[in-house]
Amino acid sequence: MRTISAILLALVFAGKIFAVDVAEYFPVANKFYAEGKFPDAAKAYETILQSGAQSPALLFNYANAEFKSGNLGQAIAAYRRAEWLAPRDSEIRANLDFVRNQVQGATVREGRWQNWIGTLSLNEAAILTAVLFWLTFALLFARQLRPALIPKLKTATRIFAVLTVFSASALGLQAANHFSKQTAVVISNATVARSGPFDEAQSAFILHDGAELSVLDRHENWIQVADGSGKTGWLPMKQVEILPGA
Amino acid sequence: MRFISKISIALVAAALLHGAVFAASFTASLDRDSIMLGEQATLSLTFQGGSPNNMPVLDVPGLSFGRPNTSTSQNINFNTGQMSSTVSITYPVAAQRTGKFTIPALTADVGGQQLTTAPLTLTVTTASAPSTAAVNSGNEVAFLKFDFPKNKIYVGEPEVARLDLYLRDDVSGLNGFQLTSSPTDGFSCGKTAEQQGMRRRAQIGNRVYTVIPISMPLTAVRTGELTLGPFTASLVVVLPSQNGGGDPFFRMFNQGEQKQFALATDPVKVDSLPLPAQNQPANFTGAVGNFTMTATAGPTNVTVGDPITVRVQISGSGALDGVTLPPQDAWHDFKTYPPTSKLDTSDQFGFQGTKTFEQIVSPLNAEVHELPPLTFTFFNPNDGQYHTLTEPAVPLAVKAAGATPMPTLAAAQNPAPENQTPQDILPIKDKLGTLENKTVQLVAQPVFLAAQAVPVLAFLAAFIWRKRTDNLANNPRLRRQRAVTQLVRDGLNDLKKFAAANQPDEFFATLFRLLQEQLGERLDCPASAITENVVEENSMLRGAPEATLNGLRELFQLCNQARYAPVRGTSELNLVAAQFEKSIGELQNLKA
Repeated sequence: MRTISAILLALVFAGKIFAVDVAEYFPVANKFYAEGKFPDAAKAYETILQSGAQSPALLFNYANAEFKSGNLGQAIAAYRRAEWLAPRDSEIRANLDFVRNQVQGATVREGRWQNWIGTLSLNEAAILTAVLFWLTFALLFARQLRPALIPKLKTATRIFAVLTVFSASALGLQAANHFSKQTAVVISNATVARSGPFDEAQSAFILHDGAELSVLDRHENWIQVADGSGKTGWLPMKQVEILPGA
Repeated sequence: MRFISKISIALVAAALLHGAVFAASFTASLDRDSIMLGEQATLSLTFQGGSPNNMPVLDVPGLSFGRPNTSTSQNINFNTGQMSSTVSITYPVAAQRTGKFTIPALTADVGGQQLTTAPLTLTVTTASAPSTAAVNSGNEVAFLKFDFPKNKIYVGEPEVARLDLYLRDDVSGLNGFQLTSSPTDGFSCGKTAEQQGMRRRAQIGNRVYTVIPISMPLTAVRTGELTLGPFTASLVVVLPSQNGGGDPFFRMFNQGEQKQFALATDPVKVDSLPLPAQNQPANFTGAVGNFTMTATAGPTNVTVGDPITVRVQISGSGALDGVTLPPQDAWHDFKTYPPTSKLDTSDQFGFQGTKTFEQIVSPLNAEVHELPPLTFTFFNPNDGQYHTLTEPAVPLAVKAAGATPMPTLAAAQNPAPENQTPQDILPIKDKLGTLENKTVQLVAQPVFLAAQAVPVLAFLAAFIWRKRTDNLANNPRLRRQRAVTQLVRDGLNDLKKFAAANQPDEFFATLFRLLQEQLGERLDCPASAITENVVEENSMLRGAPEATLNGLRELFQLCNQARYAPVRGTSELNLVAAQFEKSIGELQNLKA
């Protein structure tokens, strides 16, 4: 059994994972986790993810393994990616909240409206809006073809039109948030934010592993960030993982 | 009046001419010949009779020249009639080390002349602490005293040193106090800051001094004889002006005189002792200070594998930042996770307060009945002894985990209830779920966006169709126009057939009917009411071109003639059909 594990681990570490093998290697990574070999489990999950495949469970388990390995930032980034795929998964939300509570220092959190809109993924919101949009126009189309149906379809048309406007507004906000804003998650401990985008710049403040920050600007391999208390500074990009959305 | 103006112009011109030929000069001077290390002197370069075309380069090893300040003045001497301009450039000069420095002769091009200054000498000496006699005499305007409360200290032991700044009672202002050198070799030094609200007054000799205490948190990091200081500082104080005079009126406006000082303390030697190796407990992790400990654990009624949070609070004074929770060897029946910590300090140096650790442990088997005693060892530098604090064992009720061999996976189906604070993350998922490739956002897909145009276009098409249908239904004349147009189109085909078959009766009957239909539609009257007379009588047709009217008249006549002389050939019928087509076309173009 130990030999088999070693071979699988070697394969995983060598990156010889293809999409068809994912279902086979996922239990191996789970086994590493169950045995308390969290760094090995994290590496195994990461290798599966690097093959291009992803699922909420895969990202969730990877985040758990990173957390157990002491990497809060990597864990938070993975939980957030899992949350995009399965925004109503209570286990992902619970673990994300738990890990966030371990993070020191001021951090940027989603607003109430973002949480509310985020109950649907962007694709789910797009499909819902498209369905409502098509239904509304289908009713309008039917009213043109059969004017006799107008009194019967009047209420339904109005309801669908209002729902479409509501849904499209929420989709617009969600898309704007997703495409125009970015969040940086600190993935190394005691990271120094500097006053300018170069190593010699004065240190502005210290950031801890897992701190979530708003991305304000970029300059070469540096990003300007703001923490939850509004302090701004520059960080090397290698010390953060950048996620879309605020 | 004109004479006075001429004289004035001549005087100004003479003055300018005189000024133009006045000899230029370039001088350099220092405001003083010697300074203490940390003080600044001022170098002045003065150009008279013109502006420099190039600036001399200032480069003296060991000296640094600050940002220059330039001022220009123009003076006219009305007694001599001379006009002169003066450009002054001043540089702050600071020394990086002690010694005697020479600012070499400087050369500048002024008004085309190469001018050179004399070399200058600046002597830089080290500030030294004033003697006890000098302090007691009351002659020192300001001086520094450094006080370290111990002469022996243990490595890792924190201590707050004090640097006292003494200012004589005639000092009315203090600017730019700056520590220029603070050697603390063998110590780690925290943030140096004035102790707020701790200023006091002290009588020294026959003078009163204001004492400003400055705290310096220090922690020994190396053993052996360590030296603190000499600390040096520079400051500018405001003293009463010497030439203020005794007149109280003028003293009211006297702002005083600024004077710069370089201060120094005597060095202090401290013996840094190693922590005793004898009797050092095995679980000692380097905590130095004087601490107390409290610990709690919960929940105490658990299943094998369930998390138990152990919260340990270590309070007291010492190097709290470096305090760590030692590994507990007695917890071998528990799986332990790395503890998290939070430091709450109650003083500005971080040497007093409480450090709280939270550690998750989970029992490995159901035979566990208690969380063994928790121990923490520290070294107290006050008595030079190691102390071990022990918290008693916490009784536990641990149940077996049931049939599932791996508690982390088994618990996946039973997340913590929402109303309880979770003690750990929820375990991993054992089912992979639906795999997907990298998420493609639909709203960014052109195909998805273009597809949304389909219902809009379909609706627009239906809308236009509905409008046209309604429009036709509500407009009988338009409907008749379309019907007649179709009737004429079909009738022309019939005419051609009748012409080809040489059937003049049918031909002219059709022709007459078509004329009636087309004219009836144009004139908005029943087709049966149309006769040849309408061509002459109807007001609308009267506005038609004469050729059109002649054509219509001819067609009506041909129809009439055909009743009495029906013999016609195919070619003639074809000509009539062509003429009909032409006339009908012209008629259709007439506005109704």
